[in-house]
Amino acid sequence: MESKYSGYMGKIMEVDLTTETVREYPWSDERRELYLGGKIMAARILCDHLTGKEKPFSEENWVVIATGPLTGTGAPSSARFDISALSPQTGILASSNCGGSFGFHLKKAGYDALILKGKCRSHRWLEIDEDQFIFHDADELWGMKVGQCQETLTKLVGKKKFGKLCIGPAGENLVKYAGIISDERAAGRTGLGAVLGWKNLKAITASGTKTIPIHDKEKTAAWCKKWITYLQKHPLTGEQLPRLGTAGLVSSMQMLGILSTKNYSEGQFADFDKVSGETLAEEYNITNKGCLTCPIRCARTVRVQGKAVKGPELETLGLLGGNICNNDLQKILDWNYELDELGMDTISAANTIAWAMEANEKGLWDNGLEFGKTDNLSEVFEDIAYRRGIGDELAEGSKRLSDKYGGKEFAMQSKGLELAAYEPRRAVGQGLGYAVSNRGGCHLNGGYLVIMEGLGLHMDSQTPKAKADLTMTFQDLMETISASGQCLFTSYAFFPGFLLTKPNGILTKTVNAVAPHIGWAVRLINKHPRIAAIHLPIFQHTKMIELAVGMKMNFGRYLEIGERGYTMERYINTKFGISAANDKLPKRLTDVPQDPGDPKTKIPLETMKKTYYQARGWDHNGIPTERQLRRLKIK
Amino acid sequence: MITVKLYGLLRLDSGIRELSVEAATVAELYTRLSEKVDRLTKKDLEGCVLLVNGKVSSRRAKLADGDVVQLLPPVAGG
Repeated sequence: MESKYSGYMGKIMEVDLTTETVREYPWSDERRELYLGGKIMAARILCDHLTGKEKPFSEENWVVIATGPLTGTGAPSSARFDISALSPQTGILASSNCGGSFGFHLKKAGYDALILKGKCRSHRWLEIDEDQFIFHDADELWGMKVGQCQETLTKLVGKKKFGKLCIGPAGENLVKYAGIISDERAAGRTGLGAVLGWKNLKAITASGTKTIPIHDKEKTAAWCKKWITYLQKHPLTGEQLPRLGTAGLVSSMQMLGILSTKNYSEGQFADFDKVSGETLAEEYNITNKGCLTCPIRCARTVRVQGKAVKGPELETLGLLGGNICNNDLQKILDWNYELDELGMDTISAANTIAWAMEANEKGLWDNGLEFGKTDNLSEVFEDIAYRRGIGDELAEGSKRLSDKYGGKEFAMQSKGLELAAYEPRRAVGQGLGYAVSNRGGCHLNGGYLVIMEGLGLHMDSQTPKAKADLTMTFQDLMETISASGQCLFTSYAFFPGFLLTKPNGILTKTVNAVAPHIGWAVRLINKHPRIAAIHLPIFQHTKMIELAVGMKMNFGRYLEIGERGYTMERYINTKFGISAANDKLPKRLTDVPQDPGDPKTKIPLETMKKTYYQARGWDHNGIPTERQLRRLKIK
Repeated sequence: MITVKLYGLLRLDSGIRELSVEAATVAELYTRLSEKVDRLTKKDLEGCVLLVNGKVSSRRAKLADGDVVQLLPPVAGG
């Protein structure tokens, strides 16, 4: 259905994998205004489809691959696309975002999104060439690791310009945390690779020559240029991220006591510098790299097995470093590459290993894994991907393992999804985010409040004050950024550079001191986002949509779209039984202070949850009320 | 003698991980460091988060022999 708006290609295609037929899925401009694109568009489609009875490994589990209206428009960092479905890891709605070029090429082929229904009758891969949807036998590709698979696809498609995504052996063998890879980027989290594996779909390619329409080309180009200059001059997006990548956080997290160490039993790792971003930059990094249209270029390129490959992110450094008591950076580079090749989420894989090491240490499960003993981990990761020996059990993730063997209090997950590398007992707002995040223990979907609690600004990291309201705002903003097709890292420039480069300045100190007391003001904007009917000079995203898409937008509308998306995802999850009881953290984080001498160094989760539900207009059990669902036009 | 440890871009730009400096206050330390190392400007140093013996501290803090000062430029994003 064609759109009056630019940015969109105007078509969502429903692909029946069982019958290998394709038809257009109806979508209107009214829906574009309400749900924008990407993960919110996907949530709307899945909200209409899911009843609460569907299983992740079933023909009824639709996989929605969705771009945003800015994907491929030339807007800064706009290569992103989203994959949503029920997660085999959590059993609830999952969305996983990826910076590979598939989204851009899907739009060049003429489509905003794909809905994959049913199940291929045999191993298949799908080639999309504008209006042709061609299913190919995938027996040749099945069993291949990601790199070889993508190289083979390049030969098979025979084009220079095309997008691809595929799964590795982990997805084929239904590892609960298998990811989907496009180029060197991963939709890594929540196990959606296993869903494609179950559906017998190894890969999808897309190509075409269609033009992505831009509403006002001249002004869009001028705005992009201005924004890119702003990002490149900003201390985070212009200096730290390009030069150190996310790896640059390791040292700061160590100083703040939030670097997950020995399965989150501690927040500091004595050998942190051996696995830090600085050491990575000094001794291993070849160059930095960016996704399509990204001026930030935060990715690292390192050498592994004689090849230049993508280097590890902070999460991988933290979780395969201090969290398993490993100080060998070269090993982390090797494992990072191997896990990508196997098509497996590094966060959940590493966290599950850490749980298993502690379970072994405590005598709960004799598995041979020990903290600091890392010589056999490459084999263990292969065993997980191919479900051999203990790998078959580790492939189920830390929640299921702790259900079986005990040790739930140190299974570092929420709703079945393992936590990122931030140990939240000294950043309690981040702890709240992990607990209430729609997709489970995710730092970004949780609102990334740690940026206010030490990694950026320095408001009181132990107080629960204002954390719930700020969490909601950040979650909603990031929801819309993601839905638009842009990278979340563009939002880090939201904090004016002078606040960051003058941590001891009067203004910064005032902001930090005042932040815990602004909950009421944040609540006011959260409740009535339309009062912020302006473009903020430090938040260029809204103007970008107006210029490139031609859709009326301002900060308030943007925030409201995010709230609608976030609440709709929650509503879907409630169909699958999610309530306040599931918004929880392992007892290690809520009951045991990180510093035994300071009782404040644990997470006051219940206090913050209560305020969070109030802020969101959900009932005391964490269920969105009918009134709220109607107000947000979800029902 | 104060042990100074540098992190982030401060370390990459200066090529120095650690050095020793005599200073009685943080302000004096910044002056000494900027004199000693060309690539460390006072502006850069004042833009850092400062820890003295592992605790967040301020520019006005006094230093004692044997103190360890850690300097971190702003970071975010993961």
